[in-house]
Amino acid sequence: MQLYLPIAEMPVDPFVVITMGAAVGFLSGMFGVGGGFLMTPLLIFYGIPPAVAVGTEASQIVASSVSGVMAHLKRKTVDFQMGAFLVAGGAGGSVLGVFIFRALRASGQVETLISVSYVVFLGVIGGLMLWESVRALLRTPEDKKRRSRKRRSPAWMASLPFAMRFRASGLYISPIPPMVLGFFVGMLAAIMGVGGGFVMVPAMLYILNMPTNVVVGTSLFQIIFVTAITTVLHAAANQTVDIVLALLLVSGGVIGAQLGVRAGVRLKAEHLRALLALLVLGVCARLLIGLALPPGSEFIVETAR
Amino acid sequence: MMRLLLSLAALLVSATEVSAQGVEIALTEDRVAVDTGFAGARLTLFGAVTGLENPSSVDIISVIRGPGARFTVRQMKKSSLIWTPGPTHTIENAPGLYITQANRPVDDIAPLPAQAEYRLDAEYLDVDIIHRENPPAAEAGLFRSAFLSEAEALGLYRSRVGGISFKKGSLFTINARLPANTPVGEYDVAVYLFRNGLLIGSDSATLRVNRVGLERRIYDFAHQRPVSYGFFCVALSLIAGWLASLAFRK
Repeated sequence: MQLYLPIAEMPVDPFVVITMGAAVGFLSGMFGVGGGFLMTPLLIFYGIPPAVAVGTEASQIVASSVSGVMAHLKRKTVDFQMGAFLVAGGAGGSVLGVFIFRALRASGQVETLISVSYVVFLGVIGGLMLWESVRALLRTPEDKKRRSRKRRSPAWMASLPFAMRFRASGLYISPIPPMVLGFFVGMLAAIMGVGGGFVMVPAMLYILNMPTNVVVGTSLFQIIFVTAITTVLHAAANQTVDIVLALLLVSGGVIGAQLGVRAGVRLKAEHLRALLALLVLGVCARLLIGLALPPGSEFIVETAR
Repeated sequence: MMRLLLSLAALLVSATEVSAQGVEIALTEDRVAVDTGFAGARLTLFGAVTGLENPSSVDIISVIRGPGARFTVRQMKKSSLIWTPGPTHTIENAPGLYITQANRPVDDIAPLPAQAEYRLDAEYLDVDIIHRENPPAAEAGLFRSAFLSEAEALGLYRSRVGGISFKKGSLFTINARLPANTPVGEYDVAVYLFRNGLLIGSDSATLRVNRVGLERRIYDFAHQRPVSYGFFCVALSLIAGWLASLAFRK
């Protein structure tokens, strides 16, 4: 069976696409990540034009983050105040990201930009995660007790202007660092077709020093808004959001995520993190090989719009 | 089926009326719908050879020419560690699709001047290449030939021997296939009749490839009101995500 995608303008096998959604959903449910960093490269490998893959992923992440944030809303583990500043910065970053994307698309360099951004970010994050999880696995139980971290507001952030209290996070800091962080992640989201949780969550933990229990909920909250803005901007500026493709991916993704969550509880947190790090590095390596090896054909011919 | 019979009947009438040597063609369907299930289309063309004693002694070449399109050609270059595409060269006025079919190799049917005159192979197409940076003279033809071979790889430019069968008397049919990535717009379908290397007749018909149904609505919505379409996509995603969380609530 074939289904013709109206925006990608190509036929796909809907079962293959749903299976891809389910596979990535399974991994994202198991590891508690958004999965955009897996889905966008997978769509490109499948033959979806890179610009459409990025635009469509933004709208798919809206859907998967909404279903993820529901549980956090019920448990009241979302810092709305922090989320609002992250979104404010993220909106600006998303505008700049889509602008860069559009300019590079016109000059024909957007595929290179996407691949290079992936290699850099996945390489750095995957490397750090692997390093961290290997250390965690080698640590003895006594070490763990000693290393329990004391959390307090970073002093330099409180000394910046407009410092305020973030009750849900128990912090007294200026809103400028969260806005800068939001801006940066918003730009990544727009260029790479990801939610940016893989950058946002560690940054919230280690830079903003937010408590672990509100980090994931707040990250999902900001991802919904930023990817929603990114979706509208990609649709408006590039006409690259394929809603049929997005809904196919969502339908596979929600089922995969449920199964993934169930599989994830059977594994230890340290093992999960090490596996995720290997997965991230694997995608990074695959993209790097794609960039470094001579292409299958020396010329790229495309229909111009 | 009714249309097919009518076109056959029309052909037979014209075949008996016209005494001059020539060819008449008709498409069984002059519209191709690109809908959500579109994965390419089959075209059947009926034709009749007129005014000849021995109609099966002729050679037939058909040319399907898609609507004018713009293409971009980029050459991959190695810059330090990675391969990146070089400057964009734009191809203007090229047909979006070019399929030629013949009952035997075109070189055996028509001499080269005739092939060039009637564009019986993509090689003879006039395409304008606009270079953003002028390539050295030695590479001038490089992008043209690269375009032609890549368009063939994409399935848009093709030439094949076959698909033409002679039926009873002066009738023949041509079976062609439009690929799934065929462009939308107005097509020109031409049939050339050769005997002993000489063109003895030609006829053409038009074909429209249209987007229809849901596929068309989504495409038009996304391109005519892109901002509203963006909000629509967000709304659908929000609903889909919310429904998913309801479905799996513990």
